[in-house]
Amino acid sequence: MKLSAHYNKASIIITISVLLTGAIVYFFSISYFATEQFDHNLKDEFGELVSGVNQTGKLPDHVDYDVDQTTIVKIGQGDLPIRFFDTTFYNPKQQKIQKGRAVSGLVVLKTQHYIATITISNENTRYLIQVIGTITLVLMVGLLFVLFITNKYVLNGLWKPFHDMLGELKMFNLSDHKGFPLKQSKVEEFDDLNQAVHSMSLRVKNDYQHLKNFTDNASHEMMTPLAVITSKLDTLIQDESLKPEHYEQINDIYAATSKLSRLNHSLLLLVKIENNLIDDAEPLSLNLLITQKIKQFQELILAKEMEVSETLEEKKIMVSKYLIDILLNNLFSNAIRHNVNRGKLNIKLTANRLTFQNTGNDQPLNAETLFERFQKGQKSDGVGLGLTIVKNICAVYNWETSYSFENSLHTFQITF
Amino acid sequence: MKLLIIEDEQGLCDNITKYFNEDGNICESCNSLKSAIYKLADYDYDCVLLDIGLPDGEGFAVLEYLKAQMKNEAVLIISARNSLDDKLKGLDIGADDYLTKPFHLAELKARVVAVFRRKVFNSNNKLIFNEISINLAGRTVKVNNIPVILTRKEYDMLLYFIANKGKVISKNALAEHLWGDEMDMHDNFDFIYTHIKNLRKKLLDAHANDYLKSIYGIGYKLFAE
Repeated sequence: MKLSAHYNKASIIITISVLLTGAIVYFFSISYFATEQFDHNLKDEFGELVSGVNQTGKLPDHVDYDVDQTTIVKIGQGDLPIRFFDTTFYNPKQQKIQKGRAVSGLVVLKTQHYIATITISNENTRYLIQVIGTITLVLMVGLLFVLFITNKYVLNGLWKPFHDMLGELKMFNLSDHKGFPLKQSKVEEFDDLNQAVHSMSLRVKNDYQHLKNFTDNASHEMMTPLAVITSKLDTLIQDESLKPEHYEQINDIYAATSKLSRLNHSLLLLVKIENNLIDDAEPLSLNLLITQKIKQFQELILAKEMEVSETLEEKKIMVSKYLIDILLNNLFSNAIRHNVNRGKLNIKLTANRLTFQNTGNDQPLNAETLFERFQKGQKSDGVGLGLTIVKNICAVYNWETSYSFENSLHTFQITF
Repeated sequence: MKLLIIEDEQGLCDNITKYFNEDGNICESCNSLKSAIYKLADYDYDCVLLDIGLPDGEGFAVLEYLKAQMKNEAVLIISARNSLDDKLKGLDIGADDYLTKPFHLAELKARVVAVFRRKVFNSNNKLIFNEISINLAGRTVKVNNIPVILTRKEYDMLLYFIANKGKVISKNALAEHLWGDEMDMHDNFDFIYTHIKNLRKKLLDAHANDYLKSIYGIGYKLFAE
């Protein structure tokens, strides 16, 4: 629910309850005061009646009293206090039963006791209360309408800088050269927020740049000594006095150096992927890329006399060309390197998944640690980062990787 | 060919100089941006090997200097940075090629020769090595004027050997040249043997001299007498 909706809800509830409470308080206080007034009038009238009776020495006629109904009933001896009560009576003028307020009390005439009851209509008061109720209702509707209009046109306008900022935040890309813009608005809080986000974006960009520099520096620092070793070896093997056993040693150094260099490349690549340093995604046709890769690996496939079957559906993806190339390279080298001679490689591409199935060691691999760093088969002389890189590249694009072993086939699956 | 090597790592610099000098080239070297600019201001070179990470600044400044001075040196960047941005930036402001460390000297030599050839013999794109004549634009090879059909890998290998004639080339270097480092060919040198065997056979069948020699246990060498 939007903040304005929350705000609306709260203000509507508060408005309705305040108005209702007001109306109720109004109603009760008006009826209380009206009743008081009636009672006061009735008391006066009763007083007049009693003094009239005392003066004239006889009971008054009905005609003396107009709308107000007076009944006088003879009773036996007794004492009765004056009491006020609500009642209904027949109004002969309007010819209907009406609600009214009455007073009854004891009138004594020549030792004879009477109960005198005087009733007056309180219809008018009821009418007044109805008017008050209507006014309250109209007021309530009017207030709600005004509130609604205010929220819709005034408050939404107030929130505009916030929504603008949110839009900028959604568009914010670390590797962009464009920073987060500093904007002035009329609202102090939004200005503060804008300021805070702006300085945060600067800090983050700065850190990101440091990280990038570190990656570069680490690469440089390690690659240069490796280059020195390689060039020394290249120079050393020009020496014709070397014996075959020296060559053997040199070959081992070559192998170790190239392994170290590949390891270094892989680690740096992982850092780059994990920090999203590679974001040159473009639309590519995955099926075509796979066909090209099969050609590129043809030599290795032929050497192992492997049987390759491919079922490739048309599939377009938005991906970095560099990363998808590495991903496919790793999947292919994996499936070929760990394969047996005359083994099988099935590649299947559908609209939502890519599957590599290959024969190899007849034992299933540990699916849980398989994609972890430096997990490799006992006979593998790779650096153990291939599948980690595959997994991390997939993570960049929110693809899922999974491994299963069925019918003697190691199955690697990527779900888009 | 006159070369300037701008590289701050002394060991690497020495080896490059030594490797290139034996072929009758003249190599000079310097180890900072400042001295590089001095040298380039005073002398003309055919080719410049440029390291990007120099102690007193980025090597890109050399490229900008050459551009500003309208000098025509071929430039090959040798950088420890394997970043696409750097590669594009370097090539954009006038470098002719970009090689990432670590590299084999044979690879460097082949690249330098190719860059130099492109720059200097732009129109005459024929490479003659004794009786072997290679049309670089058409990627065709003739021996004693008789066409020899080579596969892409064999052709690449022949150029590589000719650029590094008289040098022992390790199998490692050959594998990296032919397949790149991403294909993980490290544990399999049999392919190289097959390609070499085929190339040698094709050249011999066309009555070329037997230039290619195997150096037992380590690699191959193209003898050029």
